[in-house]
Amino acid sequence: MKKIFFLLSLLFIFACKEQKTKESNLSSFQGKEIEVSNANGFSITNYDDYKIVTVNNPWPKAEKKFTYVLSRKGTQLPTDLEYDQRVTIPVKKIVVTSTTHIPSLESLEVENTLVGFPNTKYVSSKKTRALIDAGQVKELGKNESINTEVLLDIQPDVVIGFAVESGNKTFETIKKSGIPVIYNGDWTEADPLGKAEWIKFFGAFYDKEDLATTIFNQIKTEYNKAKKLASKSDHQPNVLCGAMYKDVWYLPYGDSWQAKFIDDANANYLYTNTSGNGSISLAFESVLEKSQKTDYWIAPGAFTSYDAMMNASEHYNKFEAFQQKKIYSFAGVTGETGGALYYELAPNRPDLVLKDLIKIFHPEVLPNYETTFFKPLE
Amino acid sequence: MKNLTTYLWVGIFILILATLLNISLGSVSIPLDEIVKSIFHLEVSKESWQYIILEYRLPKAFTAILVGSGLALSGLLMQTLFRNPLAGPYVLGLSSGASLGVALVIMGSSLFGGIAAGLFLSKWTLVIASSLGSFLVLLAILGASFKIKDTMALLIIGLMFASLTSAVVSVLSYFSPSQQLQQYIFWSFGSLGNLSWTEVGILFLFWLSGIILSIFCIKNLNSLLLGEQYAKSLGTNLKQNRFLVIFATSLLAGSITAFAGPIAFIGLAVPHLVRQIIPSSNHLVLVPAVILAGAILMLICDSIAQIPGSELTLPINAITSIIGAPVVIWLLVRKKKLMF
Repeated sequence: MKKIFFLLSLLFIFACKEQKTKESNLSSFQGKEIEVSNANGFSITNYDDYKIVTVNNPWPKAEKKFTYVLSRKGTQLPTDLEYDQRVTIPVKKIVVTSTTHIPSLESLEVENTLVGFPNTKYVSSKKTRALIDAGQVKELGKNESINTEVLLDIQPDVVIGFAVESGNKTFETIKKSGIPVIYNGDWTEADPLGKAEWIKFFGAFYDKEDLATTIFNQIKTEYNKAKKLASKSDHQPNVLCGAMYKDVWYLPYGDSWQAKFIDDANANYLYTNTSGNGSISLAFESVLEKSQKTDYWIAPGAFTSYDAMMNASEHYNKFEAFQQKKIYSFAGVTGETGGALYYELAPNRPDLVLKDLIKIFHPEVLPNYETTFFKPLE
Repeated sequence: MKNLTTYLWVGIFILILATLLNISLGSVSIPLDEIVKSIFHLEVSKESWQYIILEYRLPKAFTAILVGSGLALSGLLMQTLFRNPLAGPYVLGLSSGASLGVALVIMGSSLFGGIAAGLFLSKWTLVIASSLGSFLVLLAILGASFKIKDTMALLIIGLMFASLTSAVVSVLSYFSPSQQLQQYIFWSFGSLGNLSWTEVGILFLFWLSGIILSIFCIKNLNSLLLGEQYAKSLGTNLKQNRFLVIFATSLLAGSITAFAGPIAFIGLAVPHLVRQIIPSSNHLVLVPAVILAGAILMLICDSIAQIPGSELTLPINAITSIIGAPVVIWLLVRKKKLMF
């Protein structure tokens, strides 16, 4: 008798499942997808009562997609809807974890909803700094190990996190307490405009997709205009990047975000044929051999002066770009508390980065432009 | 004794060969005749080649010789002083002191507020921090060595220092952003490159004084091998001898760690390697043999770490152990016993 009952109940369970899949087919076709042109990492689909945000690539080589449901308070979701986290929108209290998230909030004029941030001293933007100084934004501790107690005390509607690989324990604890954690993957985008397009991702949490699209389109137009201007110049200077630690030179890969900028600024990055994640580490002698006569040198680590570079290694003096003082760095432009503005704002404003580089490589193209991030070394 | 002189000449010959090999191999392949021309300041077909040879590879080769020989010798001194085959140049806690100094400079800022000066600090900052750290540990150890009668207790005190500093370093690392952590880890990998001639000169002075001090100790070291009581009966001033040996080791290991980072393995393994090849426990033989063998092994390891022909390099610390450990194991297995 028990066996029969067991079999019957099994049958019942399978029968139910069958029906569910049918329903989900039904519910998926009225969605309207928001256009995403340059980013690969996310998509947003609007339904009548809710939206679905999927994040494909929260970290390099992620095995699964993350599906997030954004809905108003009290909305009944279809019972069959499968998702990882649910967020009530519009968001009134948000915690973000990377400085690159802050410009998006400011552009969407919702920086007032920011209630917590780990390592607030890295934030450079004046607007957000004022909020931090006023005590409106709580310090959440250091790095990836967020102070869970403080966070639970704030009770934000959502935490926008990022992870370099799966299994961040802190985020798991936060999720267990009922606060949704959404992974942002803007940093895995290889295309400069792709990174900037993540403003649409933030827009979805505030019902401000239209504003986000307008802002992004503006940036895109500006970027492409600048790129076209630069392409008219008929000489392509050679460019070197990075700096040494001890006798190993660290520079960005040829398929990286930074290399793409140099390419779009109509210049020739000497390591354009390399590919990979992170940075390439090369022997000093091979870099000297290849790049001694290079025309320009950008982003030499955290150096802001020629003296500091000489102090670190006399080898730098062998490079022509060093002798002719053609090194440009973003390390000197910092916020009040010392965080480099480039790290915070550059992903959101690729148009400004590109114009900076064009001004350096082809000054005749943008005669009256003042650079934002890159300044000549002292 | 005649046999030993032959060993010495063979050793010097191999050392010269290893140095030449080290200078001629690197990421950029430079033809042999161009290398010779560079060294003698003759016309070279490419200016960057001359610079690479004279300002990069040559100082690096000299550093390798100083580092290898200095660490191997301090390893031998420590093994004899403590009559313990597991001892090495760092048992006194010198490298722990150095790493604490460096960690405080690199990562301390994130704990004590403010953002660090950046990923690329001036190299003198690290050299000074590392020397200060080693020096403080040295003072503590010397102080202890005057108070304590038992030499073994010093060994334990050195170990305790190491645990203490590594605990502080882990607290610092816990609060540090990834960039600073990475910089600290790079330092702990050790590096022979990027020393200018001035720095090689300074390192050489420390090395020389360490070597001279050790030569003064040779007779007493031999009597120590028979046990402390016996050494005493031979008229050895134990405390004074202990002081000299510790001071020589600190000069060698401390200055090397300051300029090249904590280079692993060489100090522990080379004395064993030498004892397996030359069956002698006379320090008059062992000291020069260990100096030669250390220099040779370091040069070979550095040549491999450069991965000739490739643009990449490997950290020197990984190579010393990967190459050295199997050699020591093979020798031990072949001889079936530890010569100590």
